[in-house]
Amino acid sequence: MRISTLLARNLAWYWRTNLAVLLGVATAAGVLGGALLVGDSVRTSLRDLVLARLGNTDYVVSRNGFLREDLAAPLGSACPMIAIDGMVAHESSGRRALHVQIYGVDQRFWKFQAEPGAPPSDHQILLSAALESELGAKSGDSILIRVEKPSAIPLESLHGRKEDVGKTIRLTLSGGAFREFSLEPQQGDIRAAFVPLASLQRELDRFGKVNTILAAGGPVGQILKDHYSLDDLGIKLRVLEQQHALSLETDSALIPDALAERAIATAQSLGLRTEPVLTYLANSIRANGREIPYSVVTALDSPPAPAQRNGITLNQWAARELNAKPGDTVALDYYLWKSDGRLHTMSATFRLAQVVPLAGEAADRDFAPEYPGITESNSLHDWDPPFPLDLSRVRPIDEQYWKQYRTTPKAFIPLARGQQLWGTRFGRLTSIRIFPPSDVYAGALRVALDPAQMGLMVLPVRARALEAAHGATDFGEYFVYFSFFLMVSALLLTGLFFKLGVEQRMREIGVLRALGFSIPKIRFLFLLEGAVLAVAGAVVGLAGALAYGAFILFGLRTWWVDAVGTRLLALHPSIAAMGTGAAAGIVTGLCTIAWTLRSLQPVTPRGLLVGERTPVSGKRSLIIGSIAGVLALGLLAAARLRALDQTAGFFGAGTLLLIAALCLESAWLKSRSFASIGGLITLGLRSATYRPGRSILCIAQIACATFLIVSVDAFRRDADPAGTGGFPLMAESVLPLIHDPNTAAGREALNIPPLTGVEFVSFRLRPGDDASCLNLYQPRNPRIMAPPAEFLRTAGSPWPLLESQAVDGAIPAIADANSMTYVLHLKLGETFVLNGTRFRIVAALQDSLFQSELLISEKNFLRLFPDVEGYRFFLLKVSPQHAQEVSGVLEQALSDYGFDVQPAEARLASFHKVENTYLSTFRSLGALGLILGTVGLAAILLRNALERRRELALLRAVGYRPAHLAAMVLAENVLLLLLGLATGTVCALLAIAPAVALRGGRLPALSLSLLLAAVLATGVGASLAATSAALRSPLLAALRSE
Amino acid sequence: MLEVSQVRKEYPAPDGPLTILSGVSFSFERGDAVAIMGPSGAGKSTLLYILGGLEQPTSGTVVLDGRNPYELSEKELAAFRNQAIGFIFQDHCLLPQCSVLENVLVPTLVSTNRAGGVIYMERARQLLDQVGLGDRLNHRPAELSGGEKQRVALARALICKPLLLLCDEPTGNLDQASADVVAALLLELHQRQETILVVVTHSAELASRFPARYELDHANLHAAGA
Repeated sequence: MRISTLLARNLAWYWRTNLAVLLGVATAAGVLGGALLVGDSVRTSLRDLVLARLGNTDYVVSRNGFLREDLAAPLGSACPMIAIDGMVAHESSGRRALHVQIYGVDQRFWKFQAEPGAPPSDHQILLSAALESELGAKSGDSILIRVEKPSAIPLESLHGRKEDVGKTIRLTLSGGAFREFSLEPQQGDIRAAFVPLASLQRELDRFGKVNTILAAGGPVGQILKDHYSLDDLGIKLRVLEQQHALSLETDSALIPDALAERAIATAQSLGLRTEPVLTYLANSIRANGREIPYSVVTALDSPPAPAQRNGITLNQWAARELNAKPGDTVALDYYLWKSDGRLHTMSATFRLAQVVPLAGEAADRDFAPEYPGITESNSLHDWDPPFPLDLSRVRPIDEQYWKQYRTTPKAFIPLARGQQLWGTRFGRLTSIRIFPPSDVYAGALRVALDPAQMGLMVLPVRARALEAAHGATDFGEYFVYFSFFLMVSALLLTGLFFKLGVEQRMREIGVLRALGFSIPKIRFLFLLEGAVLAVAGAVVGLAGALAYGAFILFGLRTWWVDAVGTRLLALHPSIAAMGTGAAAGIVTGLCTIAWTLRSLQPVTPRGLLVGERTPVSGKRSLIIGSIAGVLALGLLAAARLRALDQTAGFFGAGTLLLIAALCLESAWLKSRSFASIGGLITLGLRSATYRPGRSILCIAQIACATFLIVSVDAFRRDADPAGTGGFPLMAESVLPLIHDPNTAAGREALNIPPLTGVEFVSFRLRPGDDASCLNLYQPRNPRIMAPPAEFLRTAGSPWPLLESQAVDGAIPAIADANSMTYVLHLKLGETFVLNGTRFRIVAALQDSLFQSELLISEKNFLRLFPDVEGYRFFLLKVSPQHAQEVSGVLEQALSDYGFDVQPAEARLASFHKVENTYLSTFRSLGALGLILGTVGLAAILLRNALERRRELALLRAVGYRPAHLAAMVLAENVLLLLLGLATGTVCALLAIAPAVALRGGRLPALSLSLLLAAVLATGVGASLAATSAALRSPLLAALRSE
Repeated sequence: MLEVSQVRKEYPAPDGPLTILSGVSFSFERGDAVAIMGPSGAGKSTLLYILGGLEQPTSGTVVLDGRNPYELSEKELAAFRNQAIGFIFQDHCLLPQCSVLENVLVPTLVSTNRAGGVIYMERARQLLDQVGLGDRLNHRPAELSGGEKQRVALARALICKPLLLLCDEPTGNLDQASADVVAALLLELHQRQETILVVVTHSAELASRFPARYELDHANLHAAGA
């Protein structure tokens, strides 16, 4: 005979109780493993999704501008394409889809992605399935796409074409399904359109050019560096024969500072002389009461520009027209397009330093860059500039000058002064002259430049996608929290059933003690049994984990789809998750079992043998309950007096009150005076004191679950107008608005009809990853927005913090508190690096509209992202009763910009929907735990009835009918249920009082009542079943055996 | 030798302590067989449990073979009960999940005697033969009659060769025939093993078989008939 033999006998003999313990551990292990499986499955699903959508793409070469299509060739497995954000409309129905990814592709893309079939040709278009469905389009239908017209010249510069920033193209929908393609991680449906590359190039006037190259494998960065050309960066080197120089210019007609610095350094390294040039158009040159219209002025650091900072040189022609001589005051009037979206007319005065003849350096028409609509015109009257022109001011002599000298400057000023007047974020030079013209300069510059710094980026999209697929939200962690009570319920049931088993074997324990088994030995024996059960339960739990995980994922695809925004999540079994669940199930199960064994100590062996129970005193419970109650009152008082945060104070008070209530109920159950017997029901109530420990365990389980479920509702978010900041409407546009819609000129330029009482606050927006809870992927490159400077000054705290200067140079940023904490995983004051720039979170907004982005000042935005032009995000101040009308008018007027207006509250509601769905999930799973608790209650009831069957038999012998006994047993159970529900509900209501008050006293009373009623009904139902089972055993036979 | 000196046992009660035993003293030698009688609730079982190290007296001493079990540590006390004392209960207290042989061997699982399982196995078989259950080794308690169960309990009580054999109403639940068999076996095995046998009973018939008889009355122990 060995211990193992006794162990095997015990396990087999008490199989019913042991099975219940095993199932309890299996449930706990299954729930935990399943929750972790959910996390792994979501991560794997997101990863699979993003990789499937990337296809064979490992890297993306892109530029904010266009580059040569041929650059793809040396990259090997690569594919040039155009990728652009736009709008798509179904012509016949008028249905529109905004923010659609439009791809210009050809056979190379099909081959790169190993797609069957053929790409769209000629005027065909292919739509993704989701987009096709959204538009209600079918093969053969006419589809309009509208995209931003690429402009090398910045729109927010004087010469940028602002009047029509978009291009509409009509195409015919071609049949055939297409696999989803996306370069950005997103869990939602793909809305994409594929058009022929050649067609798109033609429509956008970009022959042989693309803005994106997909590449697979290889050292793309190095190959790019070896093969890119200056043309790919928009850099032109022009030989000026007459001047015996090279002229470095750009497509944008402005040279960014970084390029200028590098270009000059390169020239110097080759021993070449450089001359930076800034040329501008003056509306007028005025002096002595005379004026010359529309004149080119050049700023230089060398003659013919004067040395004096305030000096100006006029050519002879200009001096004659103005009757000016050295020493005279000369004024320049000029247009300046400022970052406020308005064209300003500015003036600057100078002192005439010298007059130079129209010859040599002063007759150089190549100082001016090419401006479409101006430089190629044959006359001033043929000019087609993107700014107002008063042709009535043009005199024949001005036309004559143009005919003879074209863009030859009429005036020269010092470079520094010119840059002060006309420098923009896009650059402060229009060209750089290099003397003498060198054959090696181009090559040297190419080597010296870092393409990435010049905007030609190689993005490791596959690596980034894999990082992003880890997810902003750890679903495993979340569902462990949500399933917490289910696990606790299962473990409590495990302990309960094990405890019942131990109590059932008390006499046996007494015999073992009498036979010489010490308490530690007996405890070891039971622990060994418990270990076997825990391990077996954990193994069974593995299957449970799969089932639970599958159930949760099904829920996420259906009832809780609002939390994740996709139905494409699948179960991916993972050994790590299931193993962790099993291991945790074993550990927690064993701990629970070990905890129940502490009750072995107090009873003497004799007591065990005669079935004696330790007399329980309620004194300790009374003391603990009283202390907890006093502390609860103290916390309440502190919270009311605002010495403590209200939410923390009330929640703490509610929790302490729960503990106090349970302790006092325990003392009450243990007291002799509990339920004086006056009838059948009170006789039943007195039965609750038979095993007060069991009763209080049941009450506690139900009360805790009720407390959690009711109080979680405190975090439910309803639409709070404060989050909208007083703006009823918000809007986004696909194409940027360059003009200020608050001005008459801006409204005229944008074709907006007069709207009284409407104020726009226009934000700059750099597209990026959604940083809100709507995005399951970890945002690696969040959206960044910038409000106008005026908004920072008038909106109050904390907005002015965006203009603060940090000692370490970190850019101040504001984020929504939820996004900051749960998505970006940052804290207030923490710094982070984005694309090489350091930012610091200086403030967090509570429940704001700005949950999808970070906010920085406009000044910093323009400095960091000079190429991001115009405004794409708007807050609209309008009276609520006119909101709908204004929405319609604006969407109609600005339809070419893809202007989409929505109520600000609707935006907030979309964020709340995610949070509220998480809360619903928590509540549902908590309710499951609660129902599990009622199963425990029924088990206790049955156990009590079986243990007291002699007593019940006696009652039958003295005339009680089965219905009487059932009523007594039910009364006891309903008491425990009601005590649990009432205790938990009252304490929870106290805990959430401040949150409810904030919502104007609104509680989801109906849903809560239904939930609690369901629990009560389940508990009563389970009790009825247990009662019926208990009364079916031969009670009179039990009596006879006495 | 078993020496009991001024043993007193009180239980707390709402109206003040309830005295079950008051200054009980006696001593028995190896080979003595004693019956203790008394009315129901007199404290007979309580005295038995005190002698068996299962219930601590309120005051007084119990010394068996020179050792006071109540001065031992928990571990030593368990070993003491295992080796020095055999206990037979009124309702046998067999483990329903174990066979007859296994029930007899249960005390050996915690024996500090490293003599080995084989020796105990042999002894168990022997004892079961002696109690007439040599052919029922693999039967479960549910398959035995009341008397047979009590015989198994007797064999179990003697497996570790205890010095003191305590019996609490060993025939209380048995019919007359079974009771006779059990009583005879009890005395026979006691003689063979040379134990100190103390039997608590309210059966005069059983008590009459014992050379020494005591009565427990009003918390005091005195010789029967005195």
